Amino acid sequence: MNALVFGVALQTGDMLIYLILFILMFIIVMKYAYGPVSKMMQKREDKINGDLDYADETRKKADELAAQREAELKNTRTEATQIVQNAKKSGDNQRDQIITQAQSEAQQLKANAQKDAQQARQDALNSARDDVAQLSVEIASKLIQKELSADDQKALIDSYIEGLGDTNGSR
Amino acid sequence: MEDKIPTFTIAGLNFNLGNDISGVIAALMVLGFVFFLAKNPKIRPSKRQNILEWLIDFVNNIVKGSIPGEEGRKFYGLAFVMFLFIFMSNQLGLFLQVNVGDYNFVKSPTASPVITMTLAMIILLLSHYYGVKKWGFGTYLKNYSRPVAFLTPVNVLEEFTNFLTLSLRLFGNIYAGEILLKLIATFMKSHGVITFIPGIFLEMVWQAFSVFIGSIQAYVFVTLSMVYISKKLEQE
Repeated sequence: MNALVFGVALQTGDMLIYLILFILMFIIVMKYAYGPVSKMMQKREDKINGDLDYADETRKKADELAAQREAELKNTRTEATQIVQNAKKSGDNQRDQIITQAQSEAQQLKANAQKDAQQARQDALNSARDDVAQLSVEIASKLIQKELSADDQKALIDSYIEGLGDTNGSR
Repeated sequence: MEDKIPTFTIAGLNFNLGNDISGVIAALMVLGFVFFLAKNPKIRPSKRQNILEWLIDFVNNIVKGSIPGEEGRKFYGLAFVMFLFIFMSNQLGLFLQVNVGDYNFVKSPTASPVITMTLAMIILLLSHYYGVKKWGFGTYLKNYSRPVAFLTPVNVLEEFTNFLTLSLRLFGNIYAGEILLKLIATFMKSHGVITFIPGIFLEMVWQAFSVFIGSIQAYVFVTLSMVYISKKLEQE
């Protein structure tokens, strides 16, 4: 109590008062100001961390989706070209087939027509030959009033017509 | 020039009314300042809350400088309150000096060695407390003989010099500042207008400088406090 600090009596009471004052101030500041604010700071830090994590996760997911979509797009494109190619190929095939078919059909038709024409010509020739033989026999029989043997006559006319054909061919 | 001190004695305890009133005012300033800023804290901070959070971060960084990691977390609040209280105490005497008669009732509390010693004592007692709590009493005592045994007297002596330098540095800076403020004030009043006008400028310049000194000293006090506490928490 009588101790001196720098010529002044040591104020022990002040020390006590400041100790109490400091402790009181500490408790009040901690409880009503520092505590809530630092808690809020902590909460914000947690929230920001959470948000950043979430953003990272979302971006990762988006990247994955984009890659997937890209791959799918590529796939689709190749598929589409494949389809187009296939269609083209089958179209070509079909065309070739149709053409060959048409050609063979035309050939057939032509052959048939030729054969028909040949037949008709042959028929016409044959009937003409018969007619002529008949006619000549009738003419001869009228002329000579004599029944000639039709067979003899026919042989005669045949030789004649052959001679005609030869002269026609050489002409 | 020398102000008388309004003292009284209760139950053998000496009280200096000037110190006590100033201390209460400084404490109220701290509380008012902090409550003004910490009103209704939110996740999205208001401007006020930003200031307080910046201050908290600032003090936290002082602590982290000496006691990194989780261990320093329990000293954040102590450092924060100590910083604000010393800061407010340093500034109080710059704009408020109440004298009644010859007696001085309001000044910077930190301009009194008793007060700075009390504050230093709080810090150093806490440092010893945490030292014993962490290492146990035996290891705590053994830590005085580290790194080598013959340095033990130096280490013990250091405890006292730490206490004295921590308290008297703060006291000396603020006390000198106040003395000069009063000197300039008496100079202002000495010869009427001729000295009043330059005196006002001098006073303003010195007040501004004292604000700077007061802030620096609060910073230094808290920094050194944390250094002393960290010394007790680690083994060399």
